[in-house]
Amino acid sequence: MKRCLNRYYIFFCCLFLFVAQFVSAAEESRQDQFQDAVSSYSQGDYQTAIKSFESLLKDEISAPLFYNLANSYAQSSQSGRAILNYERALRLNPSDSDIRGNLELLRRDQGLFQEEQSITQRFVSFLGLNQWLAIASGSFLLFAIILLLPATIISKQTSRYGFAAVCLLLTILSGSGAAGQYQHWHDGVVVAEDARIRVSPFESAASIGTIQQGRLVQPGKVHNDYVLIVDEAGRSGWLKSDSFEAIATLVVSR
Amino acid sequence: MESRKNFFSNWIAGALGFLLFLVCSFSAVQTVSAAVEVSATLNATSFPLDRAAALTITVTGSRSAKPQLPQVEGLRFHQRGQSTQMNFVNGTYSASVASVFLVEAFHAGQFVIPAIEVATSDGTVMTEPVKFEVTDSQTAVRQAQNQPGSATSRLRSGEADKVAFLRVTSTKEQSYIGEIVPIQIKVYFRSGIKANLNSLPQLQAEGFVLQQLERQPDQTQEIINNSQYSVLTWNSALSGIKEGTHSVSIEIAATLLLPEQRSNPFGGQGLGSDPFFNNFFSSYREKEVQVANPVREMTVLPLPLKGKPDDFSGAIGEFYLDVTASPLELAPGDPITLKMTVRGQGNFDRVQAPKLSTEKGWKTYTPSSEFLKDGEAGQGKKVFEQALVLKDQSLREIPAVEFSYFDPVETTYKTLSVDAIPIKLKGVISETVEPLPLKQEVVQQSKATQQIETKSVVPPLADLAPLQLDIGDTDRELTPLFTKKWFQLLAGFLVLALLGTILFKVRATRYANNPRLQREQAMKHLLLVRLQEVEQTLANNDSRGFLASCRRAIQEQFGLIWETEAGAITYTDLQQQLASDSPLLPLFKAADESAYGGQELSSGQMQEFADALKKELEGLV
Repeated sequence: MKRCLNRYYIFFCCLFLFVAQFVSAAEESRQDQFQDAVSSYSQGDYQTAIKSFESLLKDEISAPLFYNLANSYAQSSQSGRAILNYERALRLNPSDSDIRGNLELLRRDQGLFQEEQSITQRFVSFLGLNQWLAIASGSFLLFAIILLLPATIISKQTSRYGFAAVCLLLTILSGSGAAGQYQHWHDGVVVAEDARIRVSPFESAASIGTIQQGRLVQPGKVHNDYVLIVDEAGRSGWLKSDSFEAIATLVVSR
Repeated sequence: MESRKNFFSNWIAGALGFLLFLVCSFSAVQTVSAAVEVSATLNATSFPLDRAAALTITVTGSRSAKPQLPQVEGLRFHQRGQSTQMNFVNGTYSASVASVFLVEAFHAGQFVIPAIEVATSDGTVMTEPVKFEVTDSQTAVRQAQNQPGSATSRLRSGEADKVAFLRVTSTKEQSYIGEIVPIQIKVYFRSGIKANLNSLPQLQAEGFVLQQLERQPDQTQEIINNSQYSVLTWNSALSGIKEGTHSVSIEIAATLLLPEQRSNPFGGQGLGSDPFFNNFFSSYREKEVQVANPVREMTVLPLPLKGKPDDFSGAIGEFYLDVTASPLELAPGDPITLKMTVRGQGNFDRVQAPKLSTEKGWKTYTPSSEFLKDGEAGQGKKVFEQALVLKDQSLREIPAVEFSYFDPVETTYKTLSVDAIPIKLKGVISETVEPLPLKQEVVQQSKATQQIETKSVVPPLADLAPLQLDIGDTDRELTPLFTKKWFQLLAGFLVLALLGTILFKVRATRYANNPRLQREQAMKHLLLVRLQEVEQTLANNDSRGFLASCRRAIQEQFGLIWETEAGAITYTDLQQQLASDSPLLPLFKAADESAYGGQELSSGQMQEFADALKKELEGLV
């Protein structure tokens, strides 16, 4: 019996070592690929860097990967795709000053000036959607715990309800922040040059005007190859679906 | 006897009333005959030739009046009626008779109606003469002002029998797809017809669109075939959107207020057709109508493919291009504003910004545009402002600006071009190449190659923050937390826990604030305990214990119901409160006797009492 157990033990150890080795090798390979991409960028070979970063993003996503890819696009004068990837990076890490700074710089360079944000907008953009959600759920959890705790732990009713009120307020505030962020979660970025907004979803329809690459759009209903969008200036019209890419609808296939 | 007395009383009262009436009538007649006055007034001292004035002759102090109107050259009088008014105030009777005549003039000028003789029941009285002026016809004045040449207009086929009709005038029957075809829409309403518009003119055609119409059309008067019409005019344009020949019609929904037919006492074209009388004496009926022009065929042609310029954006018409730039003397990196004005006539909605013949060496920004309408539909100018930044500092002029459009008159594509604009650069720029920003270790890794490569690389954005050298925390998808299963489960659990807590708190509060509920709960609890005791003593055949338990159970239950001390309840209290046949009474009595006299019960009796106790006390809860 003991010998049998020993055999199993040895088998699982070997299996663990094999899997760990495999995972480690894969991780090492990714790190190598990442460093190669960085080297390509540093040498000014932005196209190779773009290909490498995109290849890495097919397996897993991360804020630095999107950021580096955005930098590569920016250096190769593809401002639309650069802004798209900066926005994606911000979704994952909204507090990163490099991402925010480069995005602002690129927008300014391309003449994509945005209206000054109101206090509410600044509050909403202070954190990302997932961060707001984490705070909201955490504070709500605390709120529920405080109410559920027996009177023996928090005997004073005023303290109990005071803590509960603070938690509830935090939940409401962070929930509002999350709702504000989610409003723009499905936004897209124009990536095509000289994209035209049309009055109807047809090639022959009259054009309302052009929309510069890098502009944010809010997509709505879809008709064939066209999507009804509203741009930052409030213009509404139909844009070809391949003229822009959604920021958040991104699931990697493994 | 009694009825006879009543008869005489009534007769005397009637006689007295009659006498009073006679006295009053006599005094009234006296009053009337005492003062008969007459006056003649005209409601206007001046009126136009195509109107009439009302002459009122009022006789006061008489109950009848017959004015004898004189013959006046250039005037005609039409009697419109007579009214009599009688008043009896403070015992004084007065009467007045008013006769109304309409005065119609045949020519303009100064007139005097001489004193009018009025025959009354009390003799003949004379009015004062009335002076007034008749001016030229208002319609004639308006026509002279508004439509000097309209008297020559003629009605077209199908319009003669209509009170309202619509005409569309366009300059051409054939147009190219997207081309602007100016049109004029005129809606005619015969004079005297009041109308309310229920809509703006609507295009009834496939393959064309109508430009937005002004909500307030021009309003004029026109004479067609010697009939006067009120005319509403819209200037707009049609634009073909589908190739082929299309039937085009424009219609408008209106509600006509038609005067009710009334008899004309004067016959023919007399006063009955005068707008003045219609306004004053006629009523109207509403009639909803759709006024439309006859359907006409219009053809939309495709644009020719031959000779179509690459930068053609769909502009069709006749255009001119002006370009200015400022500043022309600038430092490196300064933006230049290029102002491009496309003016003329055509489909300005398809006019895109003119383009530089080459953008090499320039950084261009998206232009802004503004359309300024000027005159008729499709006429105006579109001003584009575009920012340019010089990237190649060897350049010394802004490239030529070009704009292409299709000329439908000459049926050819044309390209307008404005020559290159010279610029002057202040200072000389050294062409240094900045190293790419990158964190230290990477720079070291590729140090050997970097020095060679960077010489040929000019980064467009040298100020970008450097790359990040760690892949960071990875994830598989860019989705919000709430789409993840674990988050949904956690949130669901929290919500359920919170709801459970709230429910629990609500129940506790309800219980704390409800004494009846508390009592019921206590009764249930005590009953359960006592019944267990009873069962226990019954099983032990302990007669004394059994009766004591029964007694205690009864006292506790009624103590809670009557809100009194349970131990103080006696047999007498139960006798007073319960029905005389209640099985609890003999049980309580037996318990008392057992407690004070040592009475014992048999098993059968105990079982019988136990059943009765259980039934009765459970009934109470």
